Amino acid sequence: MTDLRSISRRAMLAGASALPFAPGLARAEDQQVVIATWGGDYANLLRDNVEVPVLTPQGIKVVQDIGDEDPRVAKALAQRRLPRGTDDVLCLQAVRAHELGDAGLLEPLDATKVPNLAHVLPDLRNQFYAPHIFSQQVLVYNPNTVKTPPKRLTDLLDPKYKGKVGVGDINYMYVMMACALAATGDVNKVEAPATRELAMKLNANGLRLYPSTDSIGAGLKSGEIDVGLMWKARVVMWQNAGIPVAASFQEEGTVLYISGMVVPKNAPNKAGAYRYLNAMLERGSQSRFAERMGYQPTVDNSPLEGKVAEQLSLPTGVSKFFTPDYGITGPLQSSVSEWWKKNIQHG
Amino acid sequence: MVEKEYPARLNQVSKRTAAAGFLGPATLVVTVMLAAPLLLLLRFSLNRYDIKELMIETVTAENYLRFFTDPFYLGVLRTTVLVAVTSTVLCLLFGLPLAYRLARLQSRWKSLCMLAIVLPLFVGSTVRMVGWMILFAHGGMIDSAVRWVNGVGLEVMYTPFAVVAGIVSINLPYVVLTIQSAIETIDIRIEEAAQSLGAPPGRQFWLVVWPLALPGTAIAGILCFILAMNAYATPYLLGGPRFQMMAPLLYWEFSTNNNWPFASALALILMSTTLVLTACSNVLIPRRYRA
Repeated sequence: MTDLRSISRRAMLAGASALPFAPGLARAEDQQVVIATWGGDYANLLRDNVEVPVLTPQGIKVVQDIGDEDPRVAKALAQRRLPRGTDDVLCLQAVRAHELGDAGLLEPLDATKVPNLAHVLPDLRNQFYAPHIFSQQVLVYNPNTVKTPPKRLTDLLDPKYKGKVGVGDINYMYVMMACALAATGDVNKVEAPATRELAMKLNANGLRLYPSTDSIGAGLKSGEIDVGLMWKARVVMWQNAGIPVAASFQEEGTVLYISGMVVPKNAPNKAGAYRYLNAMLERGSQSRFAERMGYQPTVDNSPLEGKVAEQLSLPTGVSKFFTPDYGITGPLQSSVSEWWKKNIQHG
Repeated sequence: MVEKEYPARLNQVSKRTAAAGFLGPATLVVTVMLAAPLLLLLRFSLNRYDIKELMIETVTAENYLRFFTDPFYLGVLRTTVLVAVTSTVLCLLFGLPLAYRLARLQSRWKSLCMLAIVLPLFVGSTVRMVGWMILFAHGGMIDSAVRWVNGVGLEVMYTPFAVVAGIVSINLPYVVLTIQSAIETIDIRIEEAAQSLGAPPGRQFWLVVWPLALPGTAIAGILCFILAMNAYATPYLLGGPRFQMMAPLLYWEFSTNNNWPFASALALILMSTTLVLTACSNVLIPRRYRA
């Protein structure tokens, strides 16, 4: 019988170091994927349309780490020196994904790792993130009170809309992009004098800032505002909820909001993370997100049908969509935020 | 004689040792848990922000200089102090009569009245703020009622009034309970003595009750002021994006901008301002009435 006291220190250390490679333990860890995501409908839809129908049959257990995007980014940055982080997949807006990718924190993605990336629409492809959903930033209006829909962002400067225009304060970067597009024709010129001048003019016309996206819907419903800037997906959701709202695509073009998923370089289970991304890009998962949340599929093999296809169809002649160059706009976030705070919030 | 004194002294020493033994661990834990994060915060505030690195370790005062040389940030601090002072004054004005009446109430309803004061504390402040939002919102109860009366609505949401009302509603129970417990300790016979000497009620209160209740009232005021200075949910939800106070601002810097050094500096500035103003408030209380 071996006496525990007779095991040498060296043998003990060797045994301990081999523990992570024990087959049973390794298998248990490989079967678990931790995804850091937003809560609410988004997390529920991920569970119902990606995790349960696609990943559970593959033997993958998914743990959702629910929280806001900002702390998620902060956590990824704070964990950058750790050999093993805590999350395998992060759900991020494209601009935040690019921010982390540019800082060297993300695994580059391609079709060899995630086969369904081959189906991603050309305009949405990016080496850092797998795009999950996207939507156009459109002019929204209450059809009961606005008989002639606005066609350009500058139409909102009309004195008849004084105090009746609303935007989301958290979407400040996208509002500035819309101003850049209208004032300069270049979505990336968020700090150009003409862009700032247009934003200031909108503000001077009694622009209402809402702390959350949902509160804009409430503003439209209560009659506090008549027009605003919002994602087309939200228009579909609000219409389904009975809020009087319609969308108008700006003549100067619309900015695309893209949200996707990334894999940190120090993700504990990268193989599982790639499988998650692949499952998320499956046509069934994509079409169900469109039906429930009104966001458009990011892949070319998931055509929409029925009511949602009608709601998300583009009006005739609308073709100008702009994806920001995150390499340019990403580093400007901090200074744009500072300017927004001092001149729009405080203006 | 010596034999009698010796055990008494021994008893005193053993009592002190026991007290130190009981107090020591808790004091140590509180000291470490308070001091360590503050030191870390101080260290972070001297670092430099970098978009890719998050923080570059250095020793610089630029975050503090940025705050004190920018009128925008000084304006936010000024608003914060103004809101905190206004809320504190209102809480004391509303709370003092209520606390006095409660303390002197000799009725079987007293427990019920106390429960009514404490009841709002059973509900989280964010939940209560949502209630205020429904009340203040466009098309909400106040707006609709005013519109029904004169045809023009009243916008209360996203105004300084909404923020102050929200803070007062949260802090008032703390103020009332603190002052009420202070007044409870004042012997009612002192007031009766003043009355028997011909002092009218107002004079009785001003010359007898007020000086004796002053230390407790000051503590209530300080408590209210500290809570108001650090308010986050109320200015965020009721003030909206245009109404800026220190706590939402530093959270924005920390989370949205990821500027941890500047957010740390903001946190320390807010804490220091609160401490300094709290210490200064002591000057307002005459020395003979201080606790």
